[in-house]
Amino acid sequence: MFDLLPVPAPWYIVGPLMGLVIAGMYAITNNHLGVSGAYVQFVDRARGRTIEVWRLWFLGGLILGAFAVAVLAESPQLGLGYGRLGELLPLGPLVGVLFLGGVLLGFGARWMGACTSGHGLSGCSTRSRGSFVATITFFATAVGATLLLHALTGGAL
Amino acid sequence: MNRLNLASLFFGAAFGFLFAAAGFNQYDVVHNTLLLKYLDPFFVMGSAVATALPILWLLERRGWHTPLGGPITPRRWPVERKHVYGGVVFGLGWAITGACPGTTSTMAAAGSVLGLVPLGGIFVGIFLRDTISERQPILRRSRASEPAPATEGV
Repeated sequence: MFDLLPVPAPWYIVGPLMGLVIAGMYAITNNHLGVSGAYVQFVDRARGRTIEVWRLWFLGGLILGAFAVAVLAESPQLGLGYGRLGELLPLGPLVGVLFLGGVLLGFGARWMGACTSGHGLSGCSTRSRGSFVATITFFATAVGATLLLHALTGGAL
Repeated sequence: MNRLNLASLFFGAAFGFLFAAAGFNQYDVVHNTLLLKYLDPFFVMGSAVATALPILWLLERRGWHTPLGGPITPRRWPVERKHVYGGVVFGLGWAITGACPGTTSTMAAAGSVLGLVPLGGIFVGIFLRDTISERQPILRRSRASEPAPATEGV
């Protein structure tokens, strides 16, 4: 909103601070930082299982933190924007594609037990072998599929 | 409010701030990264791991006692097939939406309404996978026609 913070901020500031957050959360709470675990709580709740309440507080914080950045910086996707994909697809098909992609994300994250944060950041930081395998697999797949989309759309995406 | 929830709120806010400051809640940033046109996010993730890994290694080696969770026990997963299968499905969703699970809610938090759509899909995807893993022990049992050992939820 105010353009007080350059986004993306320099990686050599953001990255090490992110590392401190991951290690700091372990050092204080002994909990493994991950986002998709918070979403799993809603499904667990619906199934009548016990839930980990701290994960919902973590999610609340995540939203507040991202909102703070939106206030301090420009928000290029305000409203119905969705970057280049939003320019390429009309709203109806865009919603369908995003929903189906979301189903794949949730299905895959639940299958491998964590997501980009839980495996890619925290899991690699705890030297978890399963996380190394998951991270290499989802990065390789995502890069390959994105390059394929780029080729199929004649460079439009 | 207990101290664990308060600490989780704090670390969530710090992580969400850095996540959005890195531009990880913007389609174009994520998409250009996966196109290998914009490489800074790889450096963000790499330097985050390079910072956290030695700290966690040292804390574990010293037998650090966390104030809110007892002795530190870094979580590790042994390598299993699900890491490859799940990773492939996840990677496809990531390429299509330009979003990972953290992206969707932080996108919405930044006023991008369409971030809620993949987020809704994620809940459905988790529910579907959860349903399958609930049923698997039953399937195995009927194939083996003998009682299955107790299985933990995945």
